[in-house]
Amino acid sequence: MRRFRWSAWTLLILLFSGFVLPLFLAGDPREPVASPFARPAWVGRNQAPALAFSVPPGEGKAFAWSWDAPRGLSVSGEVEFAGVPGSARLTWEKPSGEILVLADLSGQETATLDLDARDMAFRAALGLSPFDESLEGLFGGRGTIRVRIDSDVPVEKSSLSVRIPGDRWGLFGTDQRGRDVFRLFLAGIRVSLLVGVMAVLVSTVIGLSAGLLGGYVGGVVDALLMRAVDVLLSIPLLPILMVLAALWGKGLWQLVLILGLFSWMGTARTVRSMTLSFREAPYVEALRAIGAPTFYILARHGVPTVLPLLLANIALGVPGVILSEAALAYLGLSDPRVISWGRMLHEAQSFGAFTTGAWWLLLPPGLGIALLCFVFMDLGRALEEWADPRLKGGGGA
Amino acid sequence: MISMRGYWARRLGGAVCVVAIVLVANFFLFRLMPGDPVSTVLDPRFSPQAKAELEVLYGLDRPLAVQFLIYLERTATFDFGLSFATQRPVLDEILSRLPNTLALLVPAYLLSVLLGTVLGVLAARRRGRAAEKAVLSAGAISFSFPSFFVQMVLLLLFAYVYPVFPLRGSLSIPPPQGTWPLLVDRVWHLALPVGSLVLLGFGGWALTVRNLVVKVMGEDFMVLARAKGIGERRLFWGHAFRAVLPPLVTLFLLSLPGVVSGAVLTETVFSLHGVGRFLLDSVLGQDYPAAGGAFYLLTLITVASNLVADFLVQFTDPRIRTGERSSS
Amino acid sequence: MRLSGAIGLFALALSFALPTHGAEVKAETLRGPRIGELYMVVVRDPDAAVLALERGKLDVLGDVTRPSDIRRISKNPAFELSMAQGFHMAQVGFNLRKSPWNAPELRRAAAMAIPRDRLVRELFSGYSAPLTTYLPPMSPYCDKEASAPRFDPEGARALLRKAGWTWDPSGVLVPPKGKSPLPPATILSPTAGVAPTTAELADRIAGSLREIGIPVKAEPLDFAAMIQRIDEHKFDLYLMAWQLSRDPDSLYAFYHSSMDVKGGYNQTGLKDAKVDRLLEDLRYAPDEPAARVAARAAQKALSDRLPIIPVYTRFSVAAVSKGWQGTVSTKSMTADNSWSLLAMSPASGPMKPLYWALGDEPRTLNPFTASTATDWQVLGMVYDTLLTVNPNNLEDLPWLARSWKVETVKDPGGLRTRLTFVLRKDVSWQDGSPFTAKDARATLLFLQKNAIPRYFDSVRDVASVSVPDAHTLIVTMKNVSYWHLHSIGGTPIFPAALLGRVKDWRSWQPARNPVPGKAGLTELYGTGPFVFREVRPGDFVRFSRNERFWLIPR
Repeated sequence: MRRFRWSAWTLLILLFSGFVLPLFLAGDPREPVASPFARPAWVGRNQAPALAFSVPPGEGKAFAWSWDAPRGLSVSGEVEFAGVPGSARLTWEKPSGEILVLADLSGQETATLDLDARDMAFRAALGLSPFDESLEGLFGGRGTIRVRIDSDVPVEKSSLSVRIPGDRWGLFGTDQRGRDVFRLFLAGIRVSLLVGVMAVLVSTVIGLSAGLLGGYVGGVVDALLMRAVDVLLSIPLLPILMVLAALWGKGLWQLVLILGLFSWMGTARTVRSMTLSFREAPYVEALRAIGAPTFYILARHGVPTVLPLLLANIALGVPGVILSEAALAYLGLSDPRVISWGRMLHEAQSFGAFTTGAWWLLLPPGLGIALLCFVFMDLGRALEEWADPRLKGGGGA
Repeated sequence: MISMRGYWARRLGGAVCVVAIVLVANFFLFRLMPGDPVSTVLDPRFSPQAKAELEVLYGLDRPLAVQFLIYLERTATFDFGLSFATQRPVLDEILSRLPNTLALLVPAYLLSVLLGTVLGVLAARRRGRAAEKAVLSAGAISFSFPSFFVQMVLLLLFAYVYPVFPLRGSLSIPPPQGTWPLLVDRVWHLALPVGSLVLLGFGGWALTVRNLVVKVMGEDFMVLARAKGIGERRLFWGHAFRAVLPPLVTLFLLSLPGVVSGAVLTETVFSLHGVGRFLLDSVLGQDYPAAGGAFYLLTLITVASNLVADFLVQFTDPRIRTGERSSS
Repeated sequence: MRLSGAIGLFALALSFALPTHGAEVKAETLRGPRIGELYMVVVRDPDAAVLALERGKLDVLGDVTRPSDIRRISKNPAFELSMAQGFHMAQVGFNLRKSPWNAPELRRAAAMAIPRDRLVRELFSGYSAPLTTYLPPMSPYCDKEASAPRFDPEGARALLRKAGWTWDPSGVLVPPKGKSPLPPATILSPTAGVAPTTAELADRIAGSLREIGIPVKAEPLDFAAMIQRIDEHKFDLYLMAWQLSRDPDSLYAFYHSSMDVKGGYNQTGLKDAKVDRLLEDLRYAPDEPAARVAARAAQKALSDRLPIIPVYTRFSVAAVSKGWQGTVSTKSMTADNSWSLLAMSPASGPMKPLYWALGDEPRTLNPFTASTATDWQVLGMVYDTLLTVNPNNLEDLPWLARSWKVETVKDPGGLRTRLTFVLRKDVSWQDGSPFTAKDARATLLFLQKNAIPRYFDSVRDVASVSVPDAHTLIVTMKNVSYWHLHSIGGTPIFPAALLGRVKDWRSWQPARNPVPGKAGLTELYGTGPFVFREVRPGDFVRFSRNERFWLIPR
């Protein structure tokens, strides 16, 4: 290669983000960090930020609200009264001055609360729509909101806290579970790369061995191998992948093996035809004449001959595998516990990201896959030109 | 030097071999899959005895060897048995869906090959210019996107946000009256699925064609022809293009089975009633006769197109007269 | 008339009212249908379905499951949403055939370790209810007292400690008198292909079981593979969801020891003499009160044995365009039901076709082999049953039968249940011929003679069918059971004239065979409110109003 291509740089950056960057980020990417479908922070200025505060006895807690109504809210903790209250309520004063009762605590000396806006009972009690998550009915505009415990007996102790998970988050927002899409995106790099590269390596090893063996040894071995190639080429890929994924399970390594086993045929054919001419080369005939073992000839001289083209084949094979993985994931045939970009797209689609317009869930994995494929295509082309300088053309994209 | 007859006999023998292997593999592959269509009937109102009746209905009560023989006998005559899911002959099911799938795939495939070839040739003839660069980039980009992603985005954009095309299916409801309006309606419904397949498919072709042409242009016989002073135009169409035609035809026919994968996803996204979706449903629903039948037909088509490819190559390329081509 | 969904009303597990915008059914005064033309439109992709609804290409969309869609539709003033609690039950089952799961205190502790409320909140955005009962709470037979223990991890630990269990240094449980800690186990669950949340739910449940020291990991499997593992008894725990019906008879299939055989549903392998006896009482109860008592006792015994842990029950949501009026919905039934189809008419303007979404392709329109819910959504328009279920109280409602009687009679063979149905006289088939008791008899005998799997259990115990006059049907069963009323009363009735001509029920394609002399009518005809007209595979099924339907005033 004459110069270091942009695609090589991009691949390095992706490798760094996938394998090194997560080491510096605390926490598990699977844990929710904000409301489901929270927008990226840089576009969601009007969305509610994350907020948490405790409700002290007495005046309670007042806070200024200047955003759209949030989609999540929870109240939990314990309240201890000085005696058994005849009437005790947790109240919520809206900016408009209207007072709502979040919970009735009467009749208990110690009350434990665990309210969540997602509970149907909570929504029904406050007259909120059971279908719409927005808590418009609790916020209703901008201004000061006050939460306090209103009782006829003094409050001894309160560990009540109110939490608003927030509707905006980070670089890429959150997914349907409230997980950080950026973290998932980083985790996905690793899986997509691993699956792509490993499966292609598997297929290359098989294809290389079959091609060298068939081309060099010839005869029955060659005929059998080429029949196997014909059989495999006659089977439509996606359907057989679906069957095998159901048969062998959907783990990552099974997927790598399945994809590898069904994509070595092209390599085998290419290697075989190169080996056929290599076999007839004078120096190889000379080697044979002096009694060099077949394995030695193939390993020492055969492999280097086909190597340049093989490398190009590897690079050009990765996009196919990555796209196959994504297609399998889209059809729901991948391991749900492994975060890959294909899986992210599948989940986004099956939880309604397209109709919600949650582009921040779709574009990162979708463009990520495209970028990764594009990078490998470009590398493959560069390698191909290196192997066969005639192809050198208008340069990279 | 092998005689032509011997060569064709060997080719045909090989094809039969492939079909036989696929036939056997088909049978056992589906039976190896965990579970069976009876065990996945989950309804507490179905007693074990009722389930036994269901096994009789599906022919699953007989020994595997007997099932296999029945399968072989039937498949030879294109009788794939009754689909478990619909209790209708599998061949009927497939044939009734085939027109829809063909209406999707044939125009999509032809258009993407046409567009790909034109752009590939263009790129090859404009070596080193912006046009080549543009075609190469467009090709790589179109090849790099996951198909369902592009299709979902297109559907959202052109059927919902800008409702130019319909959201689903292959027919307006109620369907328009008269042949012409009906035809227009069909085309309108297929525009988006076909368009998206072309968008996704032309890139790979353009890249392949460009590479082939570039390679051929550098061959010795081309250099010789150029040295003889043959004009660029004649050089290209008379020599180069004729030389790339055989491998193109081969590629065209060999990539047919791959197109089926496209049908599975496209028919899923655009709610089309086709063979691809049928295959997916049968595989997921453990409908052995249906999945096996569809698989077998696809294999036959592939093997046949392989043979046709060989034949055409022999026909168009007088240089090749021996068996070497068959397996390279 | 056959109801596509299952129904329930009595036991309100919810302390609040589910919003039901439609009116209550007044089954007694119902008149209809009014809709002239009905299109059932096949839309399999949920995205396409929601978009099509918004674009006005669909009027009724049932089973909206994704919270994002529910939210989106709720913001659109052109649609009304209804929500109902059906007969869905998701549960964790144990393999009782092996240790340690045969230890009752371990199962009880496990039940106390699962935070149902939190799971419902976090995984279903509230569109489900935590479940602790052994029948769906909407079932009239559900006993709320017979409940699995609620979330209490501290209590779970105390219970285990009291029973002699200890914990090893890494926090894993050690059985009483045992030396080594529990070996690692797995909880099987279907992969996301079946239900997007199930695999995740299994993961969460495994996590909460680990909290109290039960070393469990989730193992998502392809659905068929999972069933096979359960059938072969190669499992520890599993997570599975069921869609049940109003009758408690499923308890017998799930928990009677005789059902722990190939093809049986006693997946946990419960073998308990007392439970067996109570379930036999339930299955062979001579009348409704006896059935109720037996169902109660059986649930009590089950909540004691805890072969499974109930986890949650799903709500269903349906959307109907406000361009239509008259929809019917109850707490157990969303507006996309056959009662709505009888009562609906345009909110304004002249009559127009109704577009109804089908979530899947009808597989076959042969009523003998049709098995999916979608198939029966279509066939249910055409065929009627003797009895139906009153959606308001889930009790039996006269339909093709005006009245009925359940008796226990004694003959030399022993005690038998005898069902006497008095049929309506104003019913006619869609081809114009009158409907009589002979049709019902021919149907029952045809189904029994051919051992058709779908109807096998319903008609298996029929001993004899007699027709004393054109509108009286007497069915004598081989044994005694109150449930015979529902199996016979719930069987769709086919025209005797056609049954005589069906040579092979497997390959019968009624929708393809025109009836000679009746333009537009195929052999797919019954007594139902809509006449089947045509099917365009992959696109739609078209019906028109049955002008002869007996609920249309003349």
